[in-house]
Amino acid sequence: MTDATTTEICDRPERVRVWDIWVRLFHWLLVTCIAIAAVTGFVLDASWIALHIVAGLSVVALVVARVIWGFLGPTHARFTDFLRRPAVVFFHLTGKESGRYLGHNPAGGVMMLGLIGIVLTLGVTGLAGLGGALRTGPLLSLPYPVGAAGLEIHEALAVFLLAMIFAHIAAAILESRYSRENLVLSMLTGTKESRPGDHTGHPERARPLLALMLILGLAATAILLLPNGRQTPIGVPVAELDASFVDECSACHLAYHPSLLTGAEWRALMAGLEDHYGEDASLDAETTARITDWLVAHDAATAQTRPARMFAGTLGTSAVSMTESRAWNHLHQDVREEIFLRAPVYSKSNCSACHSDAETGWFSPFHIQIPKEPSK
Amino acid sequence: MKYLLILPLCLLAPPLAAQSTTPADLIANYAAEAGVAASAERGQALFTASHTGGKPDTPSCTTCHGADPRAGGLARTGKPIEPLAPSANPERLTDLKFVEKWFGRNCNSVLGRDCTSAEKADVIAWLASL
Repeated sequence: MTDATTTEICDRPERVRVWDIWVRLFHWLLVTCIAIAAVTGFVLDASWIALHIVAGLSVVALVVARVIWGFLGPTHARFTDFLRRPAVVFFHLTGKESGRYLGHNPAGGVMMLGLIGIVLTLGVTGLAGLGGALRTGPLLSLPYPVGAAGLEIHEALAVFLLAMIFAHIAAAILESRYSRENLVLSMLTGTKESRPGDHTGHPERARPLLALMLILGLAATAILLLPNGRQTPIGVPVAELDASFVDECSACHLAYHPSLLTGAEWRALMAGLEDHYGEDASLDAETTARITDWLVAHDAATAQTRPARMFAGTLGTSAVSMTESRAWNHLHQDVREEIFLRAPVYSKSNCSACHSDAETGWFSPFHIQIPKEPSK
Repeated sequence: MKYLLILPLCLLAPPLAAQSTTPADLIANYAAEAGVAASAERGQALFTASHTGGKPDTPSCTTCHGADPRAGGLARTGKPIEPLAPSANPERLTDLKFVEKWFGRNCNSVLGRDCTSAEKADVIAWLASL
């Protein structure tokens, strides 16, 4: 084998098409979309969520299209070309079986299958998190715990995907050195040099028209069948705010939504207005009672939103204020400390400086806008 | 946004009756209660001084209201406070209940006690003189 390639290298070797244009487009679009999803998910703050979702859904759409192409594409695009029995994979990995594969080698085939599986699971868990925890998207009425679990799995799988991508790149580089060719370049040009003894695979004709029809059919089904996210989910924060609550509380600060704290926390807070975070905010007994009742009636137990589940119950145990809680600080770790101190935010308690929907209790990542440096 | 607070209160105040007032009435009534004439100088001194009897985060009226009552202030929460001087903000000092509520809260926060009628007359006299 090695001898054969050495002699071949002297003359200009014949190049054959291995990766068709759709496989290559898929590959590099996938790289782009996963890169965007990874950067917006791991590096940038929550205000990038819309781009993250667009990139993630694009990844899912690309992979679904690639699966169809795996049944209807040309020779090396097909699953039958690169998915092999475990024994073959084992022999390939242990070096008991050698030979150059023009398409994916048996280990690469396993990687393909793994990437497809993990990317689709990332899509499902992401939508579950979007629905259960953020109460929007096609799964908007999932119970909060399901959404929260979805997000946990989503994060763990994303880390795992990065590891797989690293392994994939390492394998491509190692394999390139081993077989003395540029596999990355081949994914750009689509061609590889033909060598004697190559596993060339069973030739298959592509069925592009059928594939296109299937992909369009699936896209139409998805658009028609999936809820469009405009209906009202269950477990949302009360929308109509009590007038005296708004008048009295927002005299000094934004009217913190009742769904942010438990009923017990509201009672304790309203019973201590004489020393309310370092100031006297006392009200007459009647107003205090009326506002307290309203707060308790719409407390965290009535909402399945993320702030309701993350902040409620933290007062008096681990923190005096919500901004001192572990959950709050974890969520705001990407925001530089001085942003909270300078104009126009001034204080960590001034949620609405960045969360335009703060008074609704939603705190949706779609409504975060961190103010720019004041121009002055 | 800041008008959310002041406007409804001002609009609600007249129908609640008997609470609508003027700075001059307030000064006269508080001074009468105190039995001393109001002094804008004493009012300014009280307003701008640093006190130790109240809560540590609010040693002075100026902590939140700023040094110039004709300009707005800023609550510790980052929320803007409308100017106190009636010349800059005609809605100020026209609602007795509102005035009493905030003297009650803020004197306790800054001084650690209620303000006397004489002190209220002095501060209002200074604010009204600006």
